[in-house]
Amino acid sequence: MDFSRLPVDEKHQQLVADVRSFLAEHVTDEVREEVRRTGEWCNVEVHLALGARGWIMPMWSKERGGAGLDATGARILELELARGEAPVGTLTTRTVAPAVERFAVPDLAAEILPKVADGSVRFCLGYTEPQGGSDIASARIRASRDGEDHWIISGTKVFTSSAQVSQYVFLLSRTDPAQPKHKGLTMFLVPLDTPGIEIQPIHTYGGRRTNTVYYSDVRISDRYRLGEVNAGWSVLRGPLDEEHSVGEHGKDLTLEDSSASVWFVRALGRALEASIDWACRSILPEGGRPIDDPIIRYRLGQIAIDIEGAFVTPGPMGRVRCSDVLTHGAAELMDLVGPGSVLAQSTPDALVDGVVEYTHRLAQGSGTQGGTVEVFRTMIASQILGLPRAKYPGSRNLVT
Amino acid sequence: MDWFELRYNDLSLSSEQEELKRVLRRFYEEQVPTERVRAAEPLGFDEELWMQLIGMGLTSMALPEEMGGDGAGLVDLAIVAFEHGAALAPAPLIEHVVATRLLARLDQESAIEKLTNSREEIFALALRPARPTVRQLVPAGAVSRNVLALDGDTLVVSRLESVPTLVPNQGSTPLAYWDLSSGSCSPLIEGDLARKLYAQAVSEWKLLTAAALVGLTERALAVAVEFVKTRETMGVPIGSLQGVAFPLVDVAIATTGTKNLTLKAAWYSDNEPEERPDLVLAAFVAAAKAATKGTITCQHVQGGLGFTIDADASLYFLRAKGWSVVGGDPAEDIQNVGGLLAAEAFGR
Repeated sequence: MDFSRLPVDEKHQQLVADVRSFLAEHVTDEVREEVRRTGEWCNVEVHLALGARGWIMPMWSKERGGAGLDATGARILELELARGEAPVGTLTTRTVAPAVERFAVPDLAAEILPKVADGSVRFCLGYTEPQGGSDIASARIRASRDGEDHWIISGTKVFTSSAQVSQYVFLLSRTDPAQPKHKGLTMFLVPLDTPGIEIQPIHTYGGRRTNTVYYSDVRISDRYRLGEVNAGWSVLRGPLDEEHSVGEHGKDLTLEDSSASVWFVRALGRALEASIDWACRSILPEGGRPIDDPIIRYRLGQIAIDIEGAFVTPGPMGRVRCSDVLTHGAAELMDLVGPGSVLAQSTPDALVDGVVEYTHRLAQGSGTQGGTVEVFRTMIASQILGLPRAKYPGSRNLVT
Repeated sequence: MDWFELRYNDLSLSSEQEELKRVLRRFYEEQVPTERVRAAEPLGFDEELWMQLIGMGLTSMALPEEMGGDGAGLVDLAIVAFEHGAALAPAPLIEHVVATRLLARLDQESAIEKLTNSREEIFALALRPARPTVRQLVPAGAVSRNVLALDGDTLVVSRLESVPTLVPNQGSTPLAYWDLSSGSCSPLIEGDLARKLYAQAVSEWKLLTAAALVGLTERALAVAVEFVKTRETMGVPIGSLQGVAFPLVDVAIATTGTKNLTLKAAWYSDNEPEERPDLVLAAFVAAAKAATKGTITCQHVQGGLGFTIDADASLYFLRAKGWSVVGGDPAEDIQNVGGLLAAEAFGR
């Protein structure tokens, strides 16, 4: 057990300074305000600037386009970018890169991976379908052979975030409907400029844009297939486990957050901090400061306690806990700050810089994105508690 | 609180700690079945078990080596308290350990002598500062003739002629009333240091009680999970129904997170005690809530059976509040965490 400060050498200290000057240059107050106003977390300019420094794949060697950082360096980079509210929604690309390394044909990997590192190639995740929701293994989008060397893909994916700024979609498709649900799936890396692909925006009230992507007889070469035909589920598992933070992938676990969803509670922590500042510094019309009221201290304290607990809740349990804490905590902060919390950031009277207002909207996506909390509760019930699985008509077989 | 600070987040136990946990789990499973817990009611004290714990060195492990201890820290003690709590072991281990650690810090000849020579003597800690003529309920008070307390800015040991009468209570724990006139008080130390050491002892009690409550809730959950795996309704095990499974999952999430939070608080108390005074309060609050909600859920999924005295679910439910309430209203600690946050904000 160890929670001590990491020992850092001069290189690490220099890295902290480098990241902070990077943030000062590329993530200005205007950029941050834009993020809070629009909720848009994809910023190509920032992504390319990260790429120029080797910080998209920071632990890759410099020869490969990385920055050759050790685990401590990568952790410093991650924390400082998060602290600086860098809009890095495009870093989803990172989670797909290992699958490309492992499963793409050599010449495709050789072509793409350097561009992943420099930022010019970005990936989005083509998992969810209109009818399927979080049950991504129920994918129906069809990929059929067109001769020996090509495939034709037809169907629709929804919630393909970052598609508008990506070059490839990491696409889960059905190649054999006759096989059981988790079999008969194949992964492709589909170039988004292929004819027949249409990207339409879906706007969320969290502000962040996501997309519907229509595939109409999209014809691609077999070289874009990742892994064996009908073995798509195992290709998908790596990035999916990463997203669910149940996989470990040889990282130095003593440095990692307990779950990948800790960023949810970091966002709440930011809103809490702003609210505490507000409570300490403002004078109420009836006199006195909010913080002098024991009820206010109680409510702020409870949110902080919930955040601390969520921070150390691991894996899929952390996924659920972080989302619950964020959703509940953000709503609580709205009530606590009062009417001024609902005002848009652009208005002069907006309290706490509109951070609470923004966080409350943003929070609502956290229970769904990357799989609903119910999916994770189901996983925990069977895999951790060992409870019997529910038998539903569609549990094991594909329903078409 | 800096949620972006560059620190390790390593919750793993050392091989010695894993071994400690394994040995204790086996000991409690073999030696403290729930029949033994019931047999010790209503006092909540099994003298033979107490002697066993002494024999195993659990009462003295966290004392300095020169006082016959092993110099163990709070992380080790938290591991012990999880297992002790999970077994609902009827013995005042936490109270005694916390009180004797406080005595050991005084480093007085008499304290050392007391600790090394009369090992069977049980010590208790009055969790609220003493006030003249105001009595308070002291945990382990009904099995102890030595109560450590803070009288103004003096730390005192109150020696009682005889062991006080049990005040029957929901958790079947050895609670007794105590005030400054209950026994003869000898001053131990005065001033800021007295207050500080007293506060530290209360904090350690909250931390280890949090650990015991997490252990209790985990075991209540295990019992409930076994029940819902086999109990059927409409041809399926009730544990396969989301309405039953999800509340249990939430209990598991709360206990897992709270266990880690408690270990983290223990680590800070051992290694950087000034850095995060909020964490022990957070762990205690989280554990009290997890235990309350957890044991309610766990008895409820067992239906009418869970409401009966015969069901082990009742043992866990009754102790969840029985152990935590004596430490004070969690709302007070929550408010104090809010106060610490504000103090930190002013520092910025």
